[in-house]
Amino acid sequence: MNIDLVATAIALLTVFGIASIIALSLNLEYGLGGIPNFGQALFVAIGAYTAGVTYTRLLPLLAGQAALDPCGATNMAPALALRTGILKTMPAVALGNFALTLVIAGVIGGLIGLVASYPALRLKEEWFLGLVLLVGSESVRIFVRGYEPIICAHNGLSGLSQPFAWLPTAQIRSLAFLGLVLVAAGLCYWYSERLARSPYGRLLKALRENNAVASGLGKEMSRVRGQVMVIGSAMAAIAGVFFVVNVGFASANDYGVALTLDIWVMIVLGGLGNMRGALLGALIVTLLDRFTSIAAIQLNMLHIDIEFNYVRYILFGVILLVMLRYRPQGLWREPVETTGVGAGEPMRAEPRV
Amino acid sequence: MLEVIKVHKAFDRLLAVDGVSLRVPKGQIVGLIGPNGSGKSTLLSTIAGQHKPDDGQIRLDGQEIGGLPPEQIFRRGLARSYQDPSLFFRMSALDNALLPAKDQRGEQPLVAPLHRLWWPQEKALAQRATSILDDLHLLPQRGKPAADLSGGQMKLLELGRTTMGAPQVMLLDEPTAGVAPALAYTIFEEIERLRRTQQITFLIVEHRLEILFDFVDWIYVMHMGQVIAEGNPATIAADRLVREVYFGE
Amino acid sequence: MPIGLLVDSLTTTILVGSLYALMAVGLTLTMAVIKLPNFAHAELITVGAFAALIVSLRLTGNPVAVLAIAFAVAALVALLTHWIVYRPLGKQKSSTYILILASFAVGLIIRYLLFLLADTFNLFDKRIQVAQEVWVQAGPLTLTNIFFWVVPTSIGLVGALSLLLNFTSLGRQMRALADNATLAKVVGVPAGHVINITWILAGGLAGVGGALWGIYTFVDPMVGWLAILSVFAAVVLGGLTSFPGTILGAFVVAFAENTLMQALNYWVGLDFSFKPAIPFVIIILVLLIRPQGLTGLFAGRRRNAGLER
Repeated sequence: MNIDLVATAIALLTVFGIASIIALSLNLEYGLGGIPNFGQALFVAIGAYTAGVTYTRLLPLLAGQAALDPCGATNMAPALALRTGILKTMPAVALGNFALTLVIAGVIGGLIGLVASYPALRLKEEWFLGLVLLVGSESVRIFVRGYEPIICAHNGLSGLSQPFAWLPTAQIRSLAFLGLVLVAAGLCYWYSERLARSPYGRLLKALRENNAVASGLGKEMSRVRGQVMVIGSAMAAIAGVFFVVNVGFASANDYGVALTLDIWVMIVLGGLGNMRGALLGALIVTLLDRFTSIAAIQLNMLHIDIEFNYVRYILFGVILLVMLRYRPQGLWREPVETTGVGAGEPMRAEPRV
Repeated sequence: MLEVIKVHKAFDRLLAVDGVSLRVPKGQIVGLIGPNGSGKSTLLSTIAGQHKPDDGQIRLDGQEIGGLPPEQIFRRGLARSYQDPSLFFRMSALDNALLPAKDQRGEQPLVAPLHRLWWPQEKALAQRATSILDDLHLLPQRGKPAADLSGGQMKLLELGRTTMGAPQVMLLDEPTAGVAPALAYTIFEEIERLRRTQQITFLIVEHRLEILFDFVDWIYVMHMGQVIAEGNPATIAADRLVREVYFGE
Repeated sequence: MPIGLLVDSLTTTILVGSLYALMAVGLTLTMAVIKLPNFAHAELITVGAFAALIVSLRLTGNPVAVLAIAFAVAALVALLTHWIVYRPLGKQKSSTYILILASFAVGLIIRYLLFLLADTFNLFDKRIQVAQEVWVQAGPLTLTNIFFWVVPTSIGLVGALSLLLNFTSLGRQMRALADNATLAKVVGVPAGHVINITWILAGGLAGVGGALWGIYTFVDPMVGWLAILSVFAAVVLGGLTSFPGTILGAFVVAFAENTLMQALNYWVGLDFSFKPAIPFVIIILVLLIRPQGLTGLFAGRRRNAGLER
């Protein structure tokens, strides 16, 4: 067995960081807000597809060159060479393009999240929104797979490398990217955790539990629902940009139900409504995923015929079922107190009139 | 003062509220009684904004509130309680009490992460909330989920937390439903105390007439969507139509 | 539009519509009687398709046998998922979201078990053994033997279910549970037993639908999932719990995907890659225009969430 430990650790931490952001986004929407988003893969995909568009159309423009049509048998190679070349030789352009991609993806993701929150107002059943998002996510996946202009249909788009391709060695590049991912994940964790432990967190919990009563207590719950969808969707889209450049290749099939399910496993396993739990869940899922793919390769080399990747999905399904049955609140429970203002010394009550 | 003027509300073919008019003067406790299905709860829900009145006016201190959404009606000073327990059971008792407070800076998603901007206000609100919990003898439960409270404690908490929103008028829908008589008395004493100390006006739907009659200033009787009688407790107790409707005499 | 294209698309509409109806009524049944939005319904379809494939390859090509076994296997799988997963969760008073998540997990597990099965026994790229023959050729109208198997079988089964719901005591009990479960139990409806039968019917019909779908298209572990989006659209058109609404919805979806798509492509140049968007667009339109779907157009004044006849 020949595993480069450092490279593996860096790769693992990078995936963990990206997974964390997505897990946090769903934990805000469902764990705290009670919005059943069964189509989170769609928002991750939005980030990926945005990168597909910026890397092929915007990047050359920023580098002062003409954009080339990236799809089609004759066009693919020169367009790929163009963007790979720019990314390797022009650091400012690479980083600038990446930053812009993040912003654009966040905005588009947030907008679509906002639009998605409106149907909830007219729905017969609350879980129906989940169905709509699931169908939407799958429809977009199949559509993008067949419609050329976005990421060259089922061929996909390659050469979407991370913005540090201009650094000298592979290890330095991956370290730099890991650093960026951890900063982003850290920011998202800070924001989510702070939000959860604030009066806004109370509003989200009220949205989750009984949104009609909360309205009767003066809160504008439809606005809260729209806000949390914007925040969660923008976060997921930003994670999608990191996701696709980490892989380097955009393919619609990466953003299907399996991805949505992975995210749900993360938050159910880690702890619904607990942001640290979301990180824990992301870590466990990342490790399990890596372990099963290593096991798959090892078994393959030993000529054992079982396709272990199939087993991986079955394993995740079983984990989800076991958690739902025996510990639905997750490994790390949600704290009961929201802002923690009641902790510590009992406050002196005002004298009774 | 709350004024309801010839309000109608129908669902499909069923006319639940049929031209009801009533007045609740400031600082009074007014009862609304009547057999099941007479439209009392629907009337309360319509006043509170859950339904839009088909016809008629609803005025709070002279301002029209009919047809406004519930959150706006609450902010104008009219709050309601529910027949079924409507606390946020997974939240702590203290959080339940803190939620209704108005104008919390920490409720803005861009301000919320910045602890320092809302913490002083949160502490001040917590002080008030803790006093309320203390008055209701719920202080030991403040950090525990509201689901852990007993039925009577839940009813009291529901009353108490609504006052955090500083309402002027409160609509109570069977505040003592399912509660032992001794506790029912306590709840009404609490209502009386709130009237006395915070000048809150009450309109209460209640079936326990023996307790209600001890506390209210005025009573409206509803039957089949209409007000069939009104008066002070003594008058209503003696009213023949009311006895007929209630006891079939 | 040339008459040939039109007639072809209409025959496809009828064929696909009847299949969607068969696949959708099981889901409507589950949602109305058991109140469970079963996101593993797609996998019951796939199970039926695989059962049909294996039977046709190893046992017999007799269509009745193939379909009957597909029914039985899918029904068994459905019943097992009920016993192992949904019933225990139901006893814990789990929320609808938890049940939905569980059904997702169940679907995932079944799907990848089928992948393992196909991988181990080399069942990829195999078709159910049915030779296609043209049985009717009248001008622009071409109908194959597959058309004459699929359409009457599907419509017949859906009709049989309708008869069962309306004219048998079992059907009455199912409708009672759909209308008001608590009241039904109080008056003595054996809920556990009726629910078991509901799963058998829902699974079995989905299984036959999968088998027929497999004959019409191909067999693959993702086959149920590919059809399920259109099935969801049909069920949404049916207002989630209306039986006739779902059937009509199935044909509406099939029409939109085939004839309408063909027309749009011919006259406006709309690329066929937009076809997968159709179920989604239909669902959104229902949400925006008439959230209760096609319910209320049939049973007059019934306004509850019961199973509309």
